[in-house]
Formats: sequence, structure tokens, C-alpha cells
Amino acid sequence: MLEGHIAKAYDGALSALHMRVLEMGGLALDQVRESVHAYTQWNPVSAQRVVERERMVNDYDSILDTEQLALIARRNPVASDLRIIIAIAKTAAELERIGDEATKIARNVLTADLRPAPPTCRDVAQLARLAMNQLRQGLEAFDRLEATLAAQVIHDDRLVDAEYAAALQRLRLRAVEPPLRIGAALDAAFVLKSLERIGDHARNLARHIQAIGPRDAWLAALSAKA
Amino acid sequence: MNTTIEQRRIGVPGAASSLLDSRVEHTTVGQINVDNAVFKCREVNVYYGDKRALRNVSIDVGRQQVLAMIGPSGCGKSTFLRCLNRMNDTIPGARVTGAIELDGRDIHDRAQDPVELRVRVGMVFQKPNPFAKSIYDNVAYGPRIHGIVRGRAELDEIVHTSLQLAGLWDEVKDRLHKPGTGLSGGQQQRLCIARTIAVKPRVILMDEPCSALDPIATARIEDLIDQLRQDYAIVIVTHSMQQAARVSQRTAYFHMGELIEVGDTDRMFTNPGHKLTEDYITGRFG
Repeated sequence: MLEGHIAKAYDGALSALHMRVLEMGGLALDQVRESVHAYTQWNPVSAQRVVERERMVNDYDSILDTEQLALIARRNPVASDLRIIIAIAKTAAELERIGDEATKIARNVLTADLRPAPPTCRDVAQLARLAMNQLRQGLEAFDRLEATLAAQVIHDDRLVDAEYAAALQRLRLRAVEPPLRIGAALDAAFVLKSLERIGDHARNLARHIQAIGPRDAWLAALSAKA
Repeated sequence: MNTTIEQRRIGVPGAASSLLDSRVEHTTVGQINVDNAVFKCREVNVYYGDKRALRNVSIDVGRQQVLAMIGPSGCGKSTFLRCLNRMNDTIPGARVTGAIELDGRDIHDRAQDPVELRVRVGMVFQKPNPFAKSIYDNVAYGPRIHGIVRGRAELDEIVHTSLQLAGLWDEVKDRLHKPGTGLSGGQQQRLCIARTIAVKPRVILMDEPCSALDPIATARIEDLIDQLRQDYAIVIVTHSMQQAARVSQRTAYFHMGELIEVGDTDRMFTNPGHKLTEDYITGRFG
């Protein structure tokens, strides 16, 4: 979908934009993975690395903004090219927010007094697995501009939501016992919420991919290309 | 006997060249009909000798609307434009089949005088072509020869109104009797538009009216097109897709003599329905 223009430089500029978002996605995914590791292992070094790398995620967002504006101004994109560029811009915004959520998780380790209890860590790790899987699949759908996989990501968001609700319920039951741990329980609730939001951003990302084109026309174009 | 436009098609479409021409024909994507149509065209074919330049084109032209026709060189868009005021009649060997109605009347009817038709369907060409006369006489020419005016005062009024509508009055009011050829390219094109609207047409056809103009003059013409569509139906052929997107409400895409797709300009440029349209407007057409 990105190729085939008479002006080959246009192909190159669109592909470069696409690649940069994928790089940004890889970084955002690693931020989530590292922040969850920092939280569940209570590792301040990892947490600090996540906080420091947040700037890199934001830098990607700024560079993409600039490159997209230049491409729109120079090429006057229309039809599928325009829809792809809009989808790229929206995807970058979702990834930037995913980076923010990862930083929020990591900051807990640097500011809180109490580390989470083992059952909370297990819940966080389980929800993180689901959310990261969603993000990974969303990025794969974006890489291949694949509507079917995007639809799967949108459908599977309910798994993240269900796991979040169950983990929150378990946390609520545990939080009533030792009053001293109420602060840690509140922090854990926010961490779970961040992971649920990461799942939502992955779902939104998939929706942006779907919005690139009418599915039938899109699949037909894909099979024609293959 | 009353007949519908579908029944009034002239000849059998494509019969002459069907044995020689086995090309797969496309069905036009999009709505060819509009409410309040000025022109209704059905299965229009144009032949230049043995060559079939236009293939079964069916489309309406709506009132108070700009219809932009786009497509690669030789796709038939200018040929179709020339069908609308029977300009193809002037080309030796050219033959038109199909039905074209202007306000419900067949333009190929024997009773239809082509000169009278061209008064109702004015045309602006790619290159500004003012007569070697004064600015005043350029605009007054049509009303004079067609006997539209009774006296000098009425003629003055038409010249004034037409130049004002064309956005040229303030620039030329002090030199109305100077030659039209002394104006800049953009001014000359607006003079030609003033000349066209002086005879109060129903439709204005424009064949790449800005291709010889700079961006400022182009912007002025585009602004003028937007104002004129309040009173006229406008059909414009343009090679600039950005221009089609800026000035039109409907866009028609032609490819190798066929009308591939027609629809709202907003949709055509964001979500075209045919792959050929998509490939052309995104610059993938090779």
C-alpha cells in the first residue's frame, strides 16, 4: 500500500515514516516490558532506565510530527496515501501515551515506600502479558497493514478488560487486611489501570489501521500486490 | 410520442468497432444521476473516423455545481466536454452517438441550432483568446451578434455586470476601450469568462482554464469559479487534481475513453471506489 508511486521518492518517504513508527512501537513495547519488570522485581535501576528513555519516545513523536507535516505539504497526499498518513499520526499518538503509562508504572518504584505483595506482582505480570501481547499484535498489524489482525486485536481487548476487573477485585479483597499496606494497594490499582490503558491504546491503534480502508478493497489490493 | 432519454440513444453503442475492439469495458462506479440535472448524458460514444475516443459515457451535470473531469492525457475528458456544446461537430470525421439532453431537450435534435446551443453552453479555453478588439467590445460581442440587447444603455449594463461578475471591473473600468489583448494572462482569462457570461448561458464549460496562468491568477480564477457556480452549472477539465479537489463538488475520472468513476469530490479524494481512480489520484498510474 505504501509503494507503486510513479515518484519513487514518495514511496521512500512513506516507507520511512512507516518504519519510524515501527521503531517507536518497539521502544514503547520495551518500555512497558521494562517498567513491569521494574515493578514486579522492585528494581530501581530498571525503573530509572524507563524514566530516562521516556524522552526518546517523545522525541520519536516530535520527529514524526515534523516528517508528516513535510510529507503532506510536499506531496498533497490523497485517498489511501492520506488515510495511511493520518493512521500513522494517530498511531504515533497512541504509542506516545503507552510510553507515558510505562513511565507512570516505573515511577512507583522510585517514589513508593512499600513494594507490592507477591500476589499483586502475579496479577500485574499476568495483566501485563495480555496488554503486551495486544500491543505486539497491534504493531504486527501495523507493520503488515493487516486489517484481519487489527480486527483480532480489537476483539481481544475484552480479555484485557476482564483480567483488569478480576485483578482489581482480588486487590480489593487483599487490601482490607493490613491497613499499613493501603498505600501499596492504591499504587497497585494505578499500575493495573495503566496496563488496562495500554491495552486500550493497542486497541485504538488497531482501529486506526482498520480506518485506512474499506476492508474488501483493502484485502483485494493486498492480494493483488501479493 | 414521449420517449425517455434511455430510449432516445442514437445508434447501437460500440457496434461499429466491437469486432476490432475486444477490450473489457468498465461499469462506472458511483452515482451518475443528480437531482436538478441541467445536462443528462447517456451512453455517449465519440468516434474520430475508426477510432473510438469515448465509450458509453453516462453522467448528469447538476445545477449550481462544479463538475471536475480528470484523467490522463487522451482519456476522453476534453472530447466529452466538447460533446456538451457540439464542438465535435466541427471536427471532420467525428461522430457522436448516444443521448445528451440540456434542460430536457435533445441537443442533437434537428431543430436545435448549434450556434444557439453554444450561447446556452459557453466555453472557456486553455489559452485566453480575447478578440483583437477593445475590452468593452470583447464582452459586448456576444450580446450584439445574438441580438440579446436593445440599446446602448442595456449593452453598457451587461458589459458592466459581466466584468463585475468576472472580478475584472475594478481593474479595467478606466480602460474599457483599450485592447483586450493588452491585459495580463489572468486578466485575459477573466475577460474571456466575462465574455462567456455576457450572453447568460446555462452552463459554462472550461477546458484547463488555468494551465497557462501563474498561481495567483489561478487562485483568482478558482475563486471566480466558486462564485459563478451560484448561478451556473460549470464543467471543468483539469490536469491538476488539487484544482479539481479545490473547486468542484463532483469529480469524474476518465480512463481510456471510459467514465470509470463519478462522485462527491470529498469522497473521490479520500476514499475512491475504483482502483484505477485510486492509482491515478495517488500518482501510481504508470
